[in-house]
Amino acid sequence: MTDQTDHSRRNFLYVAAGGLGAVAGAATAVPFLGSMLPAADTLAAATTEFDVATVAVGQMVVITWQGKPVFVTHRTPELLAQLDGQDDQLKDPNSESIEAVSAEWMKTAEQRKTRSIKPEYLIAIASCTHLGCIPLYKPSKGRTEWGDSVPSDWQGGWHCPCHNSLYDLSARVVKGSPAPDNLHVMPYKYTGDTTVVIG
Amino acid sequence: MKLKSILLSAAACVAMLTSGLAFASGGGMVFKHADTDVTSQAQLLRGLTVFTDTCMGCHSAKYITYKGLMDYPELGISRAMADEFRGDNALSSGLHTELAPEDAVESYGKVPPDLSLVVPGRRGGVDYIYSLLTGYAHDESGRVDDGNYNTYFPGNRTAMPDPLGWLDHDAEDTAELEQQAHDVSAFLEFIADPHQNTRRDLGVYVMGFLLLLTLVLFLLKREVWKDVH
Amino acid sequence: MKTKLFAWVDRRTGAEAIIKSQLTEYPAPKNLNWMWVFGAIAMFVLILQIVTGIFLAMYYKPSAELTAGGFSVAFDSVERIMRDVNFGWLLRYVHAVGASMFFLVVYIHMGRGMYYGSYKEPRELIWIMGVVILLIMQGAAFFGYLLPWGQMSFWGATVITNLFGAVPVLGDLIGQLLMGGFSVGDPTLNRFFSLHYLFPLLLGAIGGGHMHALHPVHSNNPDGIDLDQNDPKNVVMFHPYVTMKDAFAVSAFLMLYMYIVFFNPQMGGYFIEVDNYLPADPLQTPAHIAPVWYLTPWYTILRVFEVKLVGIAFMGASLAILFVYPFLDRSPVRSARYRPVYQGMVIMFFIDVIVLGYCGHTTTTEATKIAGTIATFYYFAFFLALPFLPKFEKTKALPEGV
Repeated sequence: MTDQTDHSRRNFLYVAAGGLGAVAGAATAVPFLGSMLPAADTLAAATTEFDVATVAVGQMVVITWQGKPVFVTHRTPELLAQLDGQDDQLKDPNSESIEAVSAEWMKTAEQRKTRSIKPEYLIAIASCTHLGCIPLYKPSKGRTEWGDSVPSDWQGGWHCPCHNSLYDLSARVVKGSPAPDNLHVMPYKYTGDTTVVIG
Repeated sequence: MKLKSILLSAAACVAMLTSGLAFASGGGMVFKHADTDVTSQAQLLRGLTVFTDTCMGCHSAKYITYKGLMDYPELGISRAMADEFRGDNALSSGLHTELAPEDAVESYGKVPPDLSLVVPGRRGGVDYIYSLLTGYAHDESGRVDDGNYNTYFPGNRTAMPDPLGWLDHDAEDTAELEQQAHDVSAFLEFIADPHQNTRRDLGVYVMGFLLLLTLVLFLLKREVWKDVH
Repeated sequence: MKTKLFAWVDRRTGAEAIIKSQLTEYPAPKNLNWMWVFGAIAMFVLILQIVTGIFLAMYYKPSAELTAGGFSVAFDSVERIMRDVNFGWLLRYVHAVGASMFFLVVYIHMGRGMYYGSYKEPRELIWIMGVVILLIMQGAAFFGYLLPWGQMSFWGATVITNLFGAVPVLGDLIGQLLMGGFSVGDPTLNRFFSLHYLFPLLLGAIGGGHMHALHPVHSNNPDGIDLDQNDPKNVVMFHPYVTMKDAFAVSAFLMLYMYIVFFNPQMGGYFIEVDNYLPADPLQTPAHIAPVWYLTPWYTILRVFEVKLVGIAFMGASLAILFVYPFLDRSPVRSARYRPVYQGMVIMFFIDVIVLGYCGHTTTTEATKIAGTIATFYYFAFFLALPFLPKFEKTKALPEGV
């Protein structure tokens, strides 16, 4: 055997060992990093079942889903009427800016406006898209109930106390707010007349 | 798959060696062999039925959830079956018996143990479980009542009254009862370590890979050391 | 060959000089045999134990609070790792089997040192640091075994803490310091978890010292002779020769280790004991209680003496005597290859430790009691005979070089 072939054999073995070592390292990383992902019982708790009929007409409750607060609002026809005619004041009236503000079931213009499957029940993630505070529910029009925390032409909706972001009654962000996007929505479905499974 | 067969035969050698060790730790009692196959869905599902119909009258298996029954591919029961089993319990609930601990103490003198880990938790493992279920006999000395005398229970006096009705069963039922004991033993063996089939499957690939790595490193070592001497 | 980046780092760290002094220009005896790979394997297992431990600690909960079925929060969290955490079963089995593998490797590593005289002048300090490592390992293993809060965890901890409680005058105080109460309980579990996390980090630090102390005196060799470290006839460079040999050895060792992890993780009750699948019950002791195999030799020494305090004293002495081992052995020759009497004695000693281990594992019978007593006697006789050995041992002529 000449020096030349000798060397190529050695180099080949070095490369083979190095390659296999790299494969071993990568394969070892899988269980370690995998173990840090949510465990099976955590995933099992990733959906929340909720009966929307328990929310009184005109009221809002906060429930949790995957550890996050979620608004469930029971809107009256009057409140739904307050959604109309203010699109020019909203940053994103049709919820198109990012994926998280839209959902698969938002198909018709009406659903894009009410941002809900059943118009009266709005379900949205209760974190202000600015820095994550929980906005306050201020449904009635004007400043009567809310003082100067809301503008004088207030159409009803949410007001975030941290940095004064405003959302309308479909949780769409109002122009001039520091928040960039509408409140996020999540996949959910009705499994009964009033039973929703969120997630 | 020559590699696989080599690996398996190597594995068999080590297994023989270690089963010798296992026997040594079994405390000397010779148990009947439990015919279990934890990869057999049919057997595991039959075992599940025995477990829910018979064992769960008194015993729980709290680490196995109704959701687990659906999720483990070896069991893979349907949502409808899981709903039927669970009644009002949540899907994430463990398999809990309805027998209250106080009632158990009143009836049997003690709280029946949880069965989630009963197989690795008993000397003799799955063979012990099978032997126990088919080990009820009449006490020749007459000190222990029928139904509490078991050939394989340490000390022979068990608080568990003959769950399968082994004692004085009709001869034509023997095969059926033995099958039930095999099946429920398999189920208990499975739930003690529900990832065991994944573990063994993955193990074959890991061993194959390590064999290759070791071989390459051996050749490399020999190659490098050539210039010495 | 130096890249710009390496040159940048080198100028600020002296990396090249370190690599040269530790690897590429660090000489190792040419004639090291396969017994010299176990140090590297031990280092590998320690790292694996620390890494798996860090990930397991993300899910483990050290609480003895009771849950349904007589289990505890700690036991439940271990079962959650085994069942619900992704690959949790793998991490836990690697960690649990790893404890046994670590001891196996370290015992072989120590046996090599004893056989070839690696503990002798000028490497006494390396041996002494190794004994410290062994003690910390035993502590770490003992603390770790409590964590699943099974029957063996609980009763093993109870027995050992009661041992310390037998120390005169200070016994009660030591017991309370260890347990944080008057019996093994929730405070014990919490502090054992804390210490179980601390001790491996100590192992890492002392292990570093153990290796560092090797550099000025260099590795021993199978002939136990002093070598001119600059003569290429005697030595090879650590890298690539020893590194590639160690890499192969680690890989071969992994085959055994992973075989156990994937196909027989309980090892028939030797690596994970049967009774530890039962939740801790302070009101009922398991019928058969024995420590894990790697602690059984010392358990035997403890048990052969009728008086508890004497047993404890001898068990302590059996570990303490390892510290003075290098000074008891006064022979100028290192390797057992050239010391016929010592060779017989040390091989007997290895068998003796296995006998001690066996006696500590099985239930006590008349036979194991006698065997245990004789084995304990020999354990000490081996060390105490060493100072007198050079008087009558005719050593063989040593070779000039390798």
